Amino acid sequence: MATSKKQALCLRVLLFASLRETMGWSEKLIELPANCPPSSPMQLWQHLGIQPFIPPSNIRVAINQQFANWDAALQAGDELAFLPPISGG
Amino acid sequence: MNLPFYLQSVVVKAQLSIQLKPDSFEPLQALAEWHQILAANLGSRPAAESNFIGRVRPSGLNDAPLEALELEHYPGMCEAKLHQLAATAAASNNAIAVLVWHRVGKVLASDVIVLVAVVANHRRQAQRCCQELLEALKHEAPFWKKEWLADGSNSWVQGNTPF
Repeated sequence: MATSKKQALCLRVLLFASLRETMGWSEKLIELPANCPPSSPMQLWQHLGIQPFIPPSNIRVAINQQFANWDAALQAGDELAFLPPISGG
Repeated sequence: MNLPFYLQSVVVKAQLSIQLKPDSFEPLQALAEWHQILAANLGSRPAAESNFIGRVRPSGLNDAPLEALELEHYPGMCEAKLHQLAATAAASNNAIAVLVWHRVGKVLASDVIVLVAVVANHRRQAQRCCQELLEALKHEAPFWKKEWLADGSNSWVQGNTPF
C-alpha cells in the first residue's frame, strides 16, 4: 500500500472566472491511481467531467503557472489551471 | 522568467515597477512618485516617455449602461507574467524603465483600470514599448473581466475589445 501511495499522481487543479462558476468549484486536490492516471491536461479535463467534453479552442492551460499545451505531460505535484479567454487591460 | 539568454543581460538594466492594485489610484500621482524614484535611481530623467491610462468604459455589451467591471486574476502567475512581459518589451525596445499598475477587484465605470508607462532615450522606443506591452498584457496576463450592468445583471467578457 505504501508503495502504491507514493506512486499516486497528486495534482492541484484550478478553475477561474466563467469556468469556475460553470463547474461550481475553484480548486481540487486530487490523487489519481498510479496504475492509470490521466497523463495530460486534456485527459484530466475529461476525467473531471468539465464541460464541454472537448474543450473550446479559446480555453488555455497553465502548468505550474506557465502556459502549456493540452497534451503536456503532467507530473506529481503539478498545479494545473484551466484558463477561460483572458481579458485584461 | 523564460527569456532567451541573449535578452537576459539587457533585461537586468530595465527598472520594472509592477503592481496589482486592489484599490483605486490616481495615475498622475502614481507617475509623479515614479518620476521621483527614477530621478533618484538614474540621476536624471530620460528624454522620452510614453504613458497609457486605461479607464473602464461606461457601457458594456450592446451599449448597455455599465456600473463596474470585476477583475479576477490568477495570483502568482499574473504578477510573474506581467514582470516577464514588461522585461521582454523593455529589452526588445531598449527601454530604461517600465511601470505597470493594474487594478484587481471591482472597478467602477470611468475609474482607472491600467496604467502603463515607459521611459527611454528616444520616443520611438518609448512609444513602441508602451504599445507592445499593453497589447501583450491584454492577451497574455491572466486577468478576467466580469461586467456588472446598471440593471444588476452580470456576464464574463470573452476576450478583448478591438485595438
